[in-house]
Amino acid sequence: MSALVFALVRVGGVVLAASAAGWIVARALLPPDRPFRLERLGWAFAVGVALLESFVPLSFLAGARPGGIAFAILAGVCVLASLRLRVPRSRTSPRLETWNSRPAAHLLLSLLVVLGVALYLLRALTEPMWSNDFVAIWGLKGKAIFLSGGMPAERFPGFSHPEYPLGLPFLYAGVAFLTHGWDDHAMALLFPLFQIATLAVAAGWLRRRKASPTVSLLVAAILASFEPLYSAFLTGLAEVPLAFGALLFGTALADAFEPAEAGALRRLALAAAILAATKNEGLFLAAAGCLLGLALGGRRRWKIAAAALPAALLVHLLHRIWRGSLPLRDFDLGLFSLERLLRSLATAAAVVGPLGWIGVLLVVALAVLGARRRDADTLVALAGCAAVVYLLLPAFAVRGPEWMVQTTLTRIAAALAPLAAAGIGLGYARAADGRVA
Amino acid sequence: MSPSTRPRLAAVAAVLLLLLLLSSQPLAEIPRRIRTLEAYGGKELAVRRLGGSGAAFDRRYFSFLENARRRLPRTTTAVLLSGVPEDEAHLYLAAYQLAPLTVDFARPVFEAGHPATGAVIAVYGRQPSESEHAIAVLPEGFLMAGDPP
Repeated sequence: MSALVFALVRVGGVVLAASAAGWIVARALLPPDRPFRLERLGWAFAVGVALLESFVPLSFLAGARPGGIAFAILAGVCVLASLRLRVPRSRTSPRLETWNSRPAAHLLLSLLVVLGVALYLLRALTEPMWSNDFVAIWGLKGKAIFLSGGMPAERFPGFSHPEYPLGLPFLYAGVAFLTHGWDDHAMALLFPLFQIATLAVAAGWLRRRKASPTVSLLVAAILASFEPLYSAFLTGLAEVPLAFGALLFGTALADAFEPAEAGALRRLALAAAILAATKNEGLFLAAAGCLLGLALGGRRRWKIAAAALPAALLVHLLHRIWRGSLPLRDFDLGLFSLERLLRSLATAAAVVGPLGWIGVLLVVALAVLGARRRDADTLVALAGCAAVVYLLLPAFAVRGPEWMVQTTLTRIAAALAPLAAAGIGLGYARAADGRVA
Repeated sequence: MSPSTRPRLAAVAAVLLLLLLLSSQPLAEIPRRIRTLEAYGGKELAVRRLGGSGAAFDRRYFSFLENARRRLPRTTTAVLLSGVPEDEAHLYLAAYQLAPLTVDFARPVFEAGHPATGAVIAVYGRQPSESEHAIAVLPEGFLMAGDPP
């Protein structure tokens, strides 16, 4: 197994180095207090990934081949900037219940988290990334960028959806440039790392927001075991990174409502940019977050809106400048009809299946039984907005509502799981007056 | 509903959800995955892909593409596929395996006119006839210039 292990060490080393830079840069995003520590791990990974994605096009713009020096310069600039923009200690840093308050339950839940991560690690790394959309879209673009040493002279072929954002292809290319080779097997390691970062942000954010260790670990265990998202099939596709970005965005948005939450607006802007660079619906989520901020943000509403949307729009604009205006090739607005919408909903109901419906009902029960609070509801509302759009969109599908629902609905909806789980979990956190739902 | 009932109901729902997710984990495939890793982990990347799910629909075709990739002239600008089933799976795998070159099926390109300068025709599933000037002969087919002088 030496060939694979050697390649994994190289990819892991690159991501670790990028995340180490991200850990330092995260000082400009989160207060240094202990309750933020677990979340900061996830944000460090997010910054590391953002550095890996962005140093590739920046090198092209500078007329240089992307490599270790270009990456080190960009990371160094960001580290230096973070020293000047350090977020001060939090004035609202909570005193947290210790992790060992219910040792047996916490040990069991921790083991389930480890089991979920280990199983996904095995699924992701069994073979080179192979899904249709990896081969035809995400991997194809990343490989073409890397092997061309620049943006390919020929526009990406139509079947590869040139209208999709390039964040994930740039990430693949960035790792390939730094490891000096295209290895689509070792690069699958990124995906369990996305999963771990997602779990760290979800559990860390819940703990900081006064959810008990039991609730935080339960949410992490449920997410770690969520195979519809962390599957072999979705490894290599944009859903796992999008799920991570949506969670970052949702938690930052909820934090931004609090006047004392230092760094929340910066986190919101970065998460919005990451979302928009990952998938087209990332821009939609940023817009929905902007509207939620305007509706619920009170006196901070304009600050929240200004952080939520412009960064995403900027990323979108950069794509537009490079590729021009391209239509969404799977959709035609003129196709909408009530009959197509009903066909879409009927197909969705069938696709979920009996066990899926049991799961959906349990999730709804958990959402209803939890306490109503603005921060929790923000995350659930954001996930709900996206879910509604996912149900509506197939009515516009060129290849028919049934085709779109059957091929995409479960996987794109699964990407909303971390966002929804964190929101629902927060409904069981201690309220300001000490009550628990 | 009494205040103590809600957390109990929620706890039951959460545990049921966790059990549902754990039961839906594809545990039966673990031994196969471990065996695959043991068998292929030490082999070169192309062999790992050849043995994987991405090439399962036509492993001989993947072998053809990989051999073609290794034998293409450095001046190649595009690859036109001939003798290949004209479906998405065959086109996507070729485009990925031969990236960053432009890849298309030969038939529609020739029907529309002449191929681009530097294009190579990759013929799958047969050996060259006497009248065909092969650039390279592969176990699964051969390569020839798309724009012969």
